[in-house]
Amino acid sequence: MNKMLARVRNTAIFASGISLLALSSAMATEITVWSWDPNFNGATMKEAAARYAVTHPDVTVNLVDFAKADLEQKLQAQLASGTTDGLPDIVLVEDYGAQKYLLSFPGAFEPLNGKIDYSGFAPYKVQLATVDDKTYSLPFDSGVTGLFYRTDILAEAGFTAADLQDITWDQFIDIAEVVKEKTGHPMLGIDLNDAGAVRVLLQSAGKWYFTPDGQPDIAGSATFKAALETYAKLLQAKEIYKPVSGWTEYTGGFTSGEVASVFTGVWMTATIKAADMSGKWGVAPLPKLAGVEGATHASNLGGSSWYVLSSSAEKDQAVDLLAEVWGKDVDFYQKILVDQGAVGSLLAAREGEAYKATDAYFGGQAVWQSFSDWLAQIPPVNYGIFTNEADAAVAAQLPTLANGGSVDDAIAAIDAQVRAQIQ
Amino acid sequence: MSRLAANLRAALVYGLLSLAAFLSIFPFFWMLVGTTNTAADIIKGKVSFGGALSQNISNLFAQVDMLQVFWNSAFLAVVGTILTLAVSSLAGYAFEMFQSKTRERLFSVLLLILSIPFAAIMVPLFVMMAKLKLINTFTAILLPIIASVFIIFYFRQATKAFPRELRDAAKIDGLKEWQIFIYIYLPVMRSTYAAAIIIVFLANWNNYLWPLIVLQTNENKTLTLVISSLASSYYPDYGVVMVATVLATLPTVIVFFLLQRRFVEGLTGSIK
Repeated sequence: MNKMLARVRNTAIFASGISLLALSSAMATEITVWSWDPNFNGATMKEAAARYAVTHPDVTVNLVDFAKADLEQKLQAQLASGTTDGLPDIVLVEDYGAQKYLLSFPGAFEPLNGKIDYSGFAPYKVQLATVDDKTYSLPFDSGVTGLFYRTDILAEAGFTAADLQDITWDQFIDIAEVVKEKTGHPMLGIDLNDAGAVRVLLQSAGKWYFTPDGQPDIAGSATFKAALETYAKLLQAKEIYKPVSGWTEYTGGFTSGEVASVFTGVWMTATIKAADMSGKWGVAPLPKLAGVEGATHASNLGGSSWYVLSSSAEKDQAVDLLAEVWGKDVDFYQKILVDQGAVGSLLAAREGEAYKATDAYFGGQAVWQSFSDWLAQIPPVNYGIFTNEADAAVAAQLPTLANGGSVDDAIAAIDAQVRAQIQ
Repeated sequence: MSRLAANLRAALVYGLLSLAAFLSIFPFFWMLVGTTNTAADIIKGKVSFGGALSQNISNLFAQVDMLQVFWNSAFLAVVGTILTLAVSSLAGYAFEMFQSKTRERLFSVLLLILSIPFAAIMVPLFVMMAKLKLINTFTAILLPIIASVFIIFYFRQATKAFPRELRDAAKIDGLKEWQIFIYIYLPVMRSTYAAAIIIVFLANWNNYLWPLIVLQTNENKTLTLVISSLASSYYPDYGVVMVATVLATLPTVIVFFLLQRRFVEGLTGSIK
């Protein structure tokens, strides 16, 4: 009898436990987010989640981090399988790959027009995530470029900050030669397997490997020719750069104090500041391509954006998180700028305190203000589906160009390789 | 004169061997040195031991739930190895011992399967696992590996050297086939098993692509996935990466040294 009672009691407790569980799971929402650097983009999403939780205490964010290449492979495999099991609610995608995913997997991502005010974001970031007038991303970190340089080494060679304003690449090479001669420091570290610099030059003049409708824009493009010629000139001035191989040696070049400058995305700031050379660095605008129509001092390298998966069960909540925090919280952008060095794409963010602050590491320069000025000026281009293929074709020609090879031959070879690959 | 030549030759041989030994050991040494240095020192190429070991260890444990991750990898490797050996060694034994008309044809098909790269079957396999509702489970990782064509092949080759007289004698003594397998075959083939354990354990411990695709949460991640993620951030802390790498290397080193003698025997096909 007692046993019987106990069983009834246990069943009752068990049943009420289940109903409690069901109740709490109906109220609590968990948004799963995939990103690739827990100290950078992962940390910014954590901050966003904390802010969102203030007004939405029932929403938690579950961050899963993978290596970037791993995340891309995983996403690709799962989207290709056509099963939506295990896909996250929000995923971070590198900007160069955005069009590839959007065009290869139509319907997989959620358009956010009407929910996000895109006029408040850097135009180039919006355009790269737009297909057929629908925009799919919440634009996140920008790879707005600048020329980071060692003020002490350049001063030793007789140059001031003013000498680096509004210069062309030819002038940059002249300066680099003087720096090398007077101080012995190479101006750059260059990896001949990496075509990132050519991408930077191309976009600074508003062009890409492809036309907006996806056709190769290589042979016959005056801008491509100018970009490759300029870079070849740099590569052939062998005394001004240190040849490096791989990322570690590349960053090691300037963090060790040997290399005097680096032109790259703003995300490099954290690496430069970790090198313990406070007061010795400055930031100048990117040099400009000479004699090219539409050439600017603003360009981009890398960067990424958040995308909501259409298959997500928590889609509305995920979109709301992006819209509420990422879409308008200027204070949030100050926080991630200070804590993670992340320069977002929300243009209004630059009115905040952190963006206006000066940085002693950069000799009291208001570097974030400069970067956000350039951010608004980056020419929009269409990255297309085959940026990686074109990149490989360009990289294959760099060693030949460094040894004095003909630019026209290189262009013909790149054009042929790209056309063969994208058929 | 000839003595001088012999000495010279010996010097040359030892010189080359030392160089080869240095080349093999240096990466390991570099990894150990790396665990004690800060990321900045490692990038500068510092080759001497530093004082950042405890800092690197505590950073790693602060960033990653190492106990959980280590357990995940160990569970998959150990259970995977036991299951693979149980299934594949039986198959190898059967392929060699039992005659049938279709045996060789079937075996050729199996060998053909060896030539299909995993990437080619990855997406269909994922669809299968999704239909079975096994995404993000260890079962999804174990199922495709336990019937390992390579291990079946390996056991069949090794079984060729197994004296059939032993089996015949056991049969006359009244043993059933499963008894022969367990009481006669297993003890005789222990070197083969040892070598297979090392091969399968290493493969499972280092398994990367399939766990990457199937596992979805931080709690289920394996060591290889965690290291890959640590090493590829924008500003990787190489000291932390090195500590994680050492932790990942230890079990394979231990397994190898425990079974080293038998491993060599197994590869050279000795049966006592």
